[in-house]
Amino acid sequence: MDFGFSEQQGEVQTLARQILSEQVTPERLAAYDEFKAERFDRELWQQLAQAGLLGVALEESHGGMGFGFTELALFIEEVGRSIAPVPVIPHLVSAAAPIQRFGSSELQGRWLPGVASGDVLLTAALMEPGNEEPAAPSLTTATLDGDGYRVSGLKTCVPFARSADRILLSAAVDGGVVVLLVDPKSAGISLEDVRYSTYETQYQLTLQDVQVSAADVLAGPTAGAAVMQWLSLRTTAALCAHQLGVTDHSMRMTASYSAERKQFGVLIGTFQAVGHRAANCYIDVECLRLNTYQAASLLASEADATNEVQIAKVWAGDVGHRVSYASQHLHGGTGIDRDYPLWRYCLWARHNEMMLGGSARQLAALGARIAAGEAYCA
Amino acid sequence: MKVEFTPQQNALREELRAYFGELMTPELMDECSRDMGEGGGPLWRTALKKMGADGWIGLGWPEELGGKGMSPIEQFIFVEEIMRAGYPFPFLTTESVGPQLAENGNEWHKTELVPKILAGELLISIGYSEPGAGTDLAALKTSAVRDGDEWVINGQKMWTSLAHFCDYTWLAVRTDPDAPKKHKGISMFLVPNDDPGWSCTPVNTLGDVRTNATFYDNIRVSDRNLVGELNGGWKLITSQLNRERLSLVNVGPTAVLFNKVVQWASETTLADGSRLVDEAWVQGNLARVRVGIEALKLVCYKQAWAMSEGTLDMADASVAKVYGSEFFIEAYRLLGEVVGQASMVKAHSEAGEVLQGRIERLYRTASIITFGGGTNEIQRDIISAAGLWIPRASR
Repeated sequence: MDFGFSEQQGEVQTLARQILSEQVTPERLAAYDEFKAERFDRELWQQLAQAGLLGVALEESHGGMGFGFTELALFIEEVGRSIAPVPVIPHLVSAAAPIQRFGSSELQGRWLPGVASGDVLLTAALMEPGNEEPAAPSLTTATLDGDGYRVSGLKTCVPFARSADRILLSAAVDGGVVVLLVDPKSAGISLEDVRYSTYETQYQLTLQDVQVSAADVLAGPTAGAAVMQWLSLRTTAALCAHQLGVTDHSMRMTASYSAERKQFGVLIGTFQAVGHRAANCYIDVECLRLNTYQAASLLASEADATNEVQIAKVWAGDVGHRVSYASQHLHGGTGIDRDYPLWRYCLWARHNEMMLGGSARQLAALGARIAAGEAYCA
Repeated sequence: MKVEFTPQQNALREELRAYFGELMTPELMDECSRDMGEGGGPLWRTALKKMGADGWIGLGWPEELGGKGMSPIEQFIFVEEIMRAGYPFPFLTTESVGPQLAENGNEWHKTELVPKILAGELLISIGYSEPGAGTDLAALKTSAVRDGDEWVINGQKMWTSLAHFCDYTWLAVRTDPDAPKKHKGISMFLVPNDDPGWSCTPVNTLGDVRTNATFYDNIRVSDRNLVGELNGGWKLITSQLNRERLSLVNVGPTAVLFNKVVQWASETTLADGSRLVDEAWVQGNLARVRVGIEALKLVCYKQAWAMSEGTLDMADASVAKVYGSEFFIEAYRLLGEVVGQASMVKAHSEAGEVLQGRIERLYRTASIITFGGGTNEIQRDIISAAGLWIPRASR
């Protein structure tokens, strides 16, 4: 039982925090407000690549640092803390990680060096309208076509779909689920911009008889569902790590504000009603932190962490909601003023809360596991 | 970072679980249940001495203090397992006052009292609160006045739990009435509960747990009863409370209760033959409790880890206390809803009792630790100041 950071974990955190806190300024973030541009800071992306951070969890043979999921989660926590406009979760967690874990050496060699260098961009389509279960696609189907597949269907909530080189997605097929890497420029694909609250466009992806060659098949019918489960757990844990950064920063901004703002001649933080609401945020963020780190640590050692990830996501949803509103409230009008940096954190807290299922859905899934005798306390 | 136990720690847990499985005979369980989960009975004492003789008490204390030299993490596993087993462990003596005596005590404390604590033969109650000094503990008035070679102690304490079967009271007294800051005039004494000037009257509570008002009438003690430095008691009190807070919110009993309710709901069928546990609302409540238990477990383990690293953080200790105490209340409510009307049936009822009436009783006792052990308002003040650097109002 070790809650401390190793030397390398501390270094990853420091390096990421240093680059992101210097580069991600309110001015640079403003460039993407109102969908003025794709929410992707490519210059920052290159800096993160050069610092080695895009390869933090990739093997050294692919140009990575050779660390594991815990270090990747710490990097993502920093991305959350700065709400940097970079697609780390879809690129590194949902797509590159399963390629490294399950892909053929040919597939790894083709994509992973470019993932680490930032020269290619990968993303993933995990949800369908009305279906947030990545391992059980119901609207997207594939049929064998030579040694590849033909895919038709509908995916929703796909970030960076227009600029990605490949979109990882699952499709139901005779005998199971396949996981495919689809080129968004393929014939039969159409993308619709869905304007999300965060100003990060989430595309709706329609596939009509899209041809996918054998070289772009990550997992066949018997392995596909397990691969999707694997990456879905890691993407969920990554959202928790991002949420941890978002809420921790939001809370600390609020603490600083209440230690500067005076009313009735005294600092507002000296009112117990204010201090105690901030203290509640601190308890909440600590609970999210510990559950996120536990999930990351278990996933890093490839242990079964289904319960722990679901529990962490409930905390990510609840804590995101509570800390976001407490931060807004304790800032008074300042919090909602778009000239003050808090408002964007509110949007990202909501994003992380809802992606891959909010608290109610996670609780229902956990409740079903409890009823099945799969979630007793050890 | 590795949020998993080592194989050795898991093996220790297994060993302890088997040990307590044997120790907790039905007769001992009955006795503990009669004593409202407080202990003090003859079988309880025999079991405590056996644990001492088998070397389990002070597992995580340093070897030079008579312990086994394992880390606070192993110590926490021990307390968790003993609480899971339902044995009312005197953790105020063994986990919070004992280590203080071992670290800050004089020769008498170290060579006579500490070995007895480790042998399960000596019990200590805590005397802090007074009728006029609760949350503002430094306002306490019980005094020790120098008279020749001795100290004369006079005053009254409130909520002196377990005092009716303890050997000593760890007593906070005023030794300097003129100290410029009131918390700088306080010292700690060990006062024998068998002194003719010591008396005690019971206070019966909502949860059936007995506590006491204790009275100190011209009790004469010598210098060896003073613990630590004269007028240096405040530091001992706060450090004791930090340790106590962790024991108060141990996750073990709630984890066991959750498992039992899940099992019960899985075996209980509704009129149409379906299982209670398959009801959506039941799963919702159970999932909520499961999510809360996981966080409490981690909060406690992090504290135990921080203690083993020597980095115990004030804000974190308060987080554990506030979160744990408030979660317990919520958990008993949610689990009680699952059990339904039976959650209000008392133990030893002729009919309708579920899980030995545990939820009925826990619901009545749960409020104690939101204010006991340092009220949660003060804990939130500490979190806001020490964790977030928010300035606090002067008091």
